[in-house]
Amino acid sequence: MKDTPLSNCERDFLLKAIEEKKRLDGRQTYDYRKMKITFGTDYGCCFVDLGRTRVMAQVSGELVAPKENRPNEGIMFFNIELSPMASPAFEQGRQSELSVKLNRQLERCLRNSKCIDTESLCVVSGVKVWQIRVDVHMLNHDGNLMDAASIAAITALCHFKRPDVGIQGDEVTVYSPEERDPIPLSIYHMPISVSFSFFQQGTYLLVDPCEREERVMDGLLMIAMNKHREICSIQSSGGIMLLKEQVMRCSKIASVKVSEITELISKALENDKRARKAGGRCGFAESMPQERITALKTDETSVEMTDASETANDIVQKAEVPLQTVPSPVVPAPGVGQVGEGLQNTWGLEEEEDGDEEEEEQQMEEEQDEKEDSREGDVVEISDSEEEEVVILHPETQDKTSKKAASSSNQKGAETSKQRKKN
Amino acid sequence: MEVCARTNVTLREFGCEQTLLSRPDGSASFVQGDTSVMAAVYGPAEVKVSKEIYDRATLEVLIQPKVGLPSVRERSQEQCVRETCEASLLLTLHPRSSLTLILQLIHDDGSRLSCFLNAACMALMDAGLPMNCLFCGVTCAINADSEIITDPTAAQEKESRALMTFAIDSKEQRVMMSYTTGSFSVHELQQCIAVSQKASENIFQFYRDSVRRRYSKNL
Amino acid sequence: MFSGLREKVGQVLVPGDEFCLEIPETLSLSEPMKPEKVLLGPGLKRKGDRKLLVVKSGVLRHKQPHVFWVENQQRRYVPARGETVIGIITVKSGDVFKVDVGGSEQASLSYLAFEGATKRNRPNVQVGDLVFAQFSVANQHMEPELVCVDSAGRANGMGVFGAGGLLFSVSLGLIRRLLRPRSDVLSDLQKLLPCELVVGMNGRLWARASSVQQTLVVSNLLQSCDTMSPPQRQQLFRRAAQGAL
Repeated sequence: MKDTPLSNCERDFLLKAIEEKKRLDGRQTYDYRKMKITFGTDYGCCFVDLGRTRVMAQVSGELVAPKENRPNEGIMFFNIELSPMASPAFEQGRQSELSVKLNRQLERCLRNSKCIDTESLCVVSGVKVWQIRVDVHMLNHDGNLMDAASIAAITALCHFKRPDVGIQGDEVTVYSPEERDPIPLSIYHMPISVSFSFFQQGTYLLVDPCEREERVMDGLLMIAMNKHREICSIQSSGGIMLLKEQVMRCSKIASVKVSEITELISKALENDKRARKAGGRCGFAESMPQERITALKTDETSVEMTDASETANDIVQKAEVPLQTVPSPVVPAPGVGQVGEGLQNTWGLEEEEDGDEEEEEQQMEEEQDEKEDSREGDVVEISDSEEEEVVILHPETQDKTSKKAASSSNQKGAETSKQRKKN
Repeated sequence: MEVCARTNVTLREFGCEQTLLSRPDGSASFVQGDTSVMAAVYGPAEVKVSKEIYDRATLEVLIQPKVGLPSVRERSQEQCVRETCEASLLLTLHPRSSLTLILQLIHDDGSRLSCFLNAACMALMDAGLPMNCLFCGVTCAINADSEIITDPTAAQEKESRALMTFAIDSKEQRVMMSYTTGSFSVHELQQCIAVSQKASENIFQFYRDSVRRRYSKNL
Repeated sequence: MFSGLREKVGQVLVPGDEFCLEIPETLSLSEPMKPEKVLLGPGLKRKGDRKLLVVKSGVLRHKQPHVFWVENQQRRYVPARGETVIGIITVKSGDVFKVDVGGSEQASLSYLAFEGATKRNRPNVQVGDLVFAQFSVANQHMEPELVCVDSAGRANGMGVFGAGGLLFSVSLGLIRRLLRPRSDVLSDLQKLLPCELVVGMNGRLWARASSVQQTLVVSNLLQSCDTMSPPQRQQLFRRAAQGAL
């Protein structure tokens, strides 16, 4: 599916508005859209809403053998899925440029910055380590997927708790969540990416572009930073030339934004921890807004079953008796098993059925004499087909009945053709 | 193998939200207990020439699991959902166009396929696609004591001897699609179908209530 | 005959609901029988000889004397003959422009379908321009065709436009409310700000006011009042009148 094309008047209007420092939704140049972070039922599932952009991240872990050149470290695996749900332009399965770009940026932001202590993921050196997998799904694309994905990924990693393992000599026991409390990952710092979009060859910049602003931008600068003001990665795409002062200014803005976002994430994690400790149910179901008219919820309902069993009994009794089947493999001889019964061949091509066939055939011929003549020509033509070349199954009777075979196969051809015509 | 008919067969609490995403033409999320699914519909939209059908719309269903890439299990569930949707949508009204239905699993706690079906129906209604009937999905499990449990959780599914999912239509409560695993007798099958038909009445009433609530505002 | 239908006017219906035609039990031979007819709008389909089927979920509406339809809050547009839409030119090939109208196929617009266009005098249309046109052919079996002239050959407000304004999308329900004869939304907006508005029935709106700021205000107001009831909308417009301007 193609996305709607951008018209010239939209482009001109957006650029003119940006020159007057006005954004489509009334934000200031350095403002982020409203951000909301919620968590799912199990540990490691996180939803991030950035304005109307919606992203879901899920973290999962399993025990695998480590990489050969790093036997003491766990493995981190990142995957961003551009689901076709997010935009009509995304296609399932196709690795588009955007998907490669986002995946690469997320890897650089989280893996190369060493925000997770991978050595603590080692269980038995060289044999078993934890592989932590982060899957990020885009649910709705309204611009700035990268920031939303990085926030979702790092929040999900902070939220995730892996099962506890016990090592006794060579044996490794993985305890389920009921036996022993799961352990959170050890995270050194939280890198968060901030995107800047540039317009008119770098003259104007906007933070957190929405989808239409992304379409008219000249280039994008992405800075990943943590709250200690350490830059984890910088990426500039679109081929714009930036001055040193511009990059310095952007990094200052980024540090302010990152500290705000980090605070929001910590608050969200706190609230979730408190809710879980209080014992209430938490998850996607609970976070559904109830006061909206587009949402509705019901409680557990019981199903009226009074006459259901009677109708079921009726149906079963009125139904036909099922075919008798042989219940289990039959052993006719040692070493030979037979499942199911071999049924009689009803194709009418075997020699011993010749007699019955011809009798039947004669009856049919008597009934349909007048049709026979008109069909004689047809029969000859049809019997030119494969019917003649069918292998006769009983070679010992071949000499006796060879002539008969030829004529009977002719007639058999007639009979099958009559059957076909009847059908 | 007699099945004792329990009179207290229950459905877990369910909830739904419509129009929660801004890009798709129709979207809905459906929650059954802890199992939740998000569905989005795009259509009728442009179709690739290789996939177009001259007299009907081409319906494509995509199921996205939470972890990892879609596998054979997702493909078989896509097939089930697609057959049900094709039977209830009026595809001949939009020839040479494409309808895409995307289902994202948010959390799986049993009754996955029936949750997919319910979310799909709500999303198709939200998108305003013409349908000749509504459909819903009900899952039944037969546990080791030969009791029928509707809408089982993941733990109940694991311990069950047989698991069946039926898609039921809204006009005559007939079975549109069935997906079964495990062994069971004909009698048990008929019992489960009867139970599913009864349970589907609750679900259709829920659909009606949520649509009524949605249109309750005078615009 | 369709009293069942009349009873349900104003109620919410879901796909699968059926209405049966009732045949009166006694036919009077003395009085003249007038055949009663019913005009079905979107969301209702005839099934067989005697039944009506609801195919979309929404509220059943009625207009005198005998028009019934189901009103829903849909976002996707399906081309229909005679409707005026805003299209974006995507391809300019030879004699025909291809226009994106938001449907399942791109519509075609011939270069001669503009006022005063001849083979020598071609209209000045570029790729990416906005065009306000009407469907001359739009059914499910054929490619949709647009024209920028009415049957008399005059432009009547149609043609290329767009400089200086902003294009945005809303739901089809809001478009219908804006195009009603005495539309509340439109009158409230006129009291607030003077602006130029082009309404395309494919869910697209174009607005231009005296400044960029005012144009943005108009577009944001219209996009937000999509799901608001009249009192909420009036409150929003009042706040906008006090605050932004």
